[in-house]
Amino acid sequence: MASHATNDHAHVQGEIAKPNTGWIWRTFWVLVGITAVEFVFVFFMDPGTLRNTIFIILTIFKAFFIVGEFMHLKHETKGLIWTILVPMALLVWLLVALVTEGSFIGEVLQNMFK
Amino acid sequence: MANTASTQPISATPTLDAPRTGTWDGGNEPFKASYGKLMMWFFLLSDAFTFAAFLTTYGLIRHKHGVFAGPGKFHFSTDWWPVPDQVFNAFPGLHGHELPLAFVALMTMILIFSSVTMVLAVEAGHRMDKADVQKWLLWTILFGSTFLASQAWEWTHFIHGTEKGLLMADGTVFHGANLAMNQYGPVLFADLFFFITGFHGTHVFSGVCLLIWCFIATTNGTFHKRGHYEMVEKIGLYWHFVDLVWVFVFTFFYLV
Repeated sequence: MASHATNDHAHVQGEIAKPNTGWIWRTFWVLVGITAVEFVFVFFMDPGTLRNTIFIILTIFKAFFIVGEFMHLKHETKGLIWTILVPMALLVWLLVALVTEGSFIGEVLQNMFK
Repeated sequence: MANTASTQPISATPTLDAPRTGTWDGGNEPFKASYGKLMMWFFLLSDAFTFAAFLTTYGLIRHKHGVFAGPGKFHFSTDWWPVPDQVFNAFPGLHGHELPLAFVALMTMILIFSSVTMVLAVEAGHRMDKADVQKWLLWTILFGSTFLASQAWEWTHFIHGTEKGLLMADGTVFHGANLAMNQYGPVLFADLFFFITGFHGTHVFSGVCLLIWCFIATTNGTFHKRGHYEMVEKIGLYWHFVDLVWVFVFTFFYLV
């Protein structure tokens, strides 16, 4: 297959390149760090919109590292990156719309018999 | 020569002297990714829609229900949505201790770690290092299975409930949860727990099956003969996606 340029030199018998794993462990510690920060906020901050916003931002950071580095999307072509990201961005709108709708339904049901 | 020239009409469009070589003119890979990898990406995109639908439903239903407004300490009731760290505060072997979110933190770490061993397997595949691919695939299978076992424990505890239970309107005490009743809050809370974590767990299970198959194929030398370990990469994409979904489930189900 044409896309496997790395294979040409690897076919030489008994010659295996040295592992290059520094970036993997760096990404791992970033993910562990962000998760630890999330737990700090769970236990030392009162629940509320601000805390939830912090959680969502930290989650998006974690998603960025998993998709960008582990799934290699950061290093793919621009076309592929946008093909994946644009539909996901539309889902954010769905989430915002339906969460708002949920609050509204709750309010209507609570005040129905008042 | 003269004969052919007179019978053939002169073409209006000039013929190509050289094949077209533009990005979208065929004969190349515009996304510089193989067919298999591209299709895995599109499958994962469609799978992300399903999970997003689940989590959006959770958001809608949670906002439809009220929140505990006091007075006093939070307690379970079908009138309001439960606080997650009050529901998920048990740890295997430490009965009676309140350890909010400790077990789910462990599960998160196991899954993130399995993602790391998966990337290490992919990296070994790039170097055509069969022994390393085998080693890291085995670690990934181990962590994946451990996660599944942890989830089985979590479910068992959720289904059986606490000793205190919840006092129902008819005076009886109900312990644990099923699809129709639960001690933690509104019916839909347990339903969403079963469906969202269950659907994610099913994905982990499929991933472990794929990894076991991948390990056997690696051991048999299938990928080495093929000349590349792209299959490890494709299964890796799936595995990271499962980890990614857990990151979102973790935030929206356990933290928020």
